Amino acid sequence: MVDVSQHELVPEHTVLDEETLDGVLADYDIDRTELPKIKYKDPALPDNAEIGDVVEIVRDSRTTDEAVVYRLVIE
Amino acid sequence: TEFDVTDGVHDVIEDTELPRRLKDEVLATAEERGVTKSQANEIATAVEAQYLDTRVDPLDPVGTVSAQSIGEPGTQMTMNTFHYAGVAEMDVTQGLPRLIELVDARKTPDTPVMEVYLEDEYAEERERAHEVVWKIEATKILALGDISTNVADMVVRIDLNEDTLQERWPRVDSTTQIAGEVAETIEGNLGVTVTQDGTILEFGPSEPSYRELLQLVEQLRDIVFKGIEEVSRVVIRREETERGEEFVLYTEGSAFKKALKIEGVDATRTSCNNIHEVHKTLGIEAAREAIINETMTTLEEQGLDDVNIRHLMLVADIMTNDGTIESIGRHGISGNKNSVLARAAFEVTVNHLLDAAIHGESDDLDGVIENVIVGKPVRLGTGDVDLRMGATQTSD
Repeated sequence: MVDVSQHELVPEHTVLDEETLDGVLADYDIDRTELPKIKYKDPALPDNAEIGDVVEIVRDSRTTDEAVVYRLVIE
Repeated sequence: TEFDVTDGVHDVIEDTELPRRLKDEVLATAEERGVTKSQANEIATAVEAQYLDTRVDPLDPVGTVSAQSIGEPGTQMTMNTFHYAGVAEMDVTQGLPRLIELVDARKTPDTPVMEVYLEDEYAEERERAHEVVWKIEATKILALGDISTNVADMVVRIDLNEDTLQERWPRVDSTTQIAGEVAETIEGNLGVTVTQDGTILEFGPSEPSYRELLQLVEQLRDIVFKGIEEVSRVVIRREETERGEEFVLYTEGSAFKKALKIEGVDATRTSCNNIHEVHKTLGIEAAREAIINETMTTLEEQGLDDVNIRHLMLVADIMTNDGTIESIGRHGISGNKNSVLARAAFEVTVNHLLDAAIHGESDDLDGVIENVIVGKPVRLGTGDVDLRMGATQTSD
């Protein structure tokens, strides 16, 4: 099988633990359902991610060095 | 760190609110010009002020600005270009049609192509690179030999070309063996018995039937003996990349998932211009990157490279926000707006108003369009700020 995470188009995805997540949501002052979404069957999703989890994505940004974004795992 | 500046200069620049990339740029310049600490301070303050000043203000309508910033250069793009540009002798849709195709999130692009990079041992020699070409390009019977139908004996005869066989199956030594493989493929696909004599293959329908004989020939032409069915042609080019000189393959037709699994294909750099295939194979984040890359290259090819990348990033963010690729337009983003008036203002006005009336929808007047329609201040920029007098009074 092809290891999707090695492709240059795919940024690093990691599952966020609840504690860090609470901090993030408090920072942005939003509910987790307001985050962008990622499908459960997404090939780049880490194996240990479950529906309802939030993944942290560290992109190699074009405008700054790194951009950290979050996506809620759905369906 | 990696910059040869004094600690004083370094600290002054590091203490600013600039993002990493800008700090590095300032540090590099400071190193090059050999500035003193007080000069560095002056530079850092000026750059920081400029940076803070050019940041997007709260309540700025970034979407509208992006729409205008992409739309205006769009008017300068060629309406219909279908030329052989960019890649050697390959036809790739460019310009406005390509941009529309991208934001519409069309299921298959007009001209699907893949850019296939090779693993080191295949990328250096033309011979080895060709091995990968034959694993990708679909080989059909017409490329392998001549077909003749003998109506009197009810047989289809294939004279396989030995040179072609040897070329396309470089790993097998005898052409008879290759012909055997070809015969097996035909048997498997058509359900007939093939008799082999060297590189000559013969077969026919089980019952003598003129119609069936012709049908077999028809079906024979469609069988893929080697390679990926979707790829009709592969162009091989020697290119200068960040890894030095190497062979890169360009395909007409795409099957991204299949291509990545092929031995010799570099599965970390190979890409595809179909954003849906990228989404299916590599996920939503890769699709977002692909949308940005594709839209930016489309603009650059037309000489419109001064469109800021942030506008395209915003478009890609919106298109991939819900975990799937959504198009911009009636069936995608604009069609899913909450406001009835906003949807009605976009396209097919009467239908939207009628549906809303039937379902008893209400409009909260949160967006821009709704407020323009009813003549209220738009809730953007200063329009979204309410001022109130402080409740405490001071006595003198």
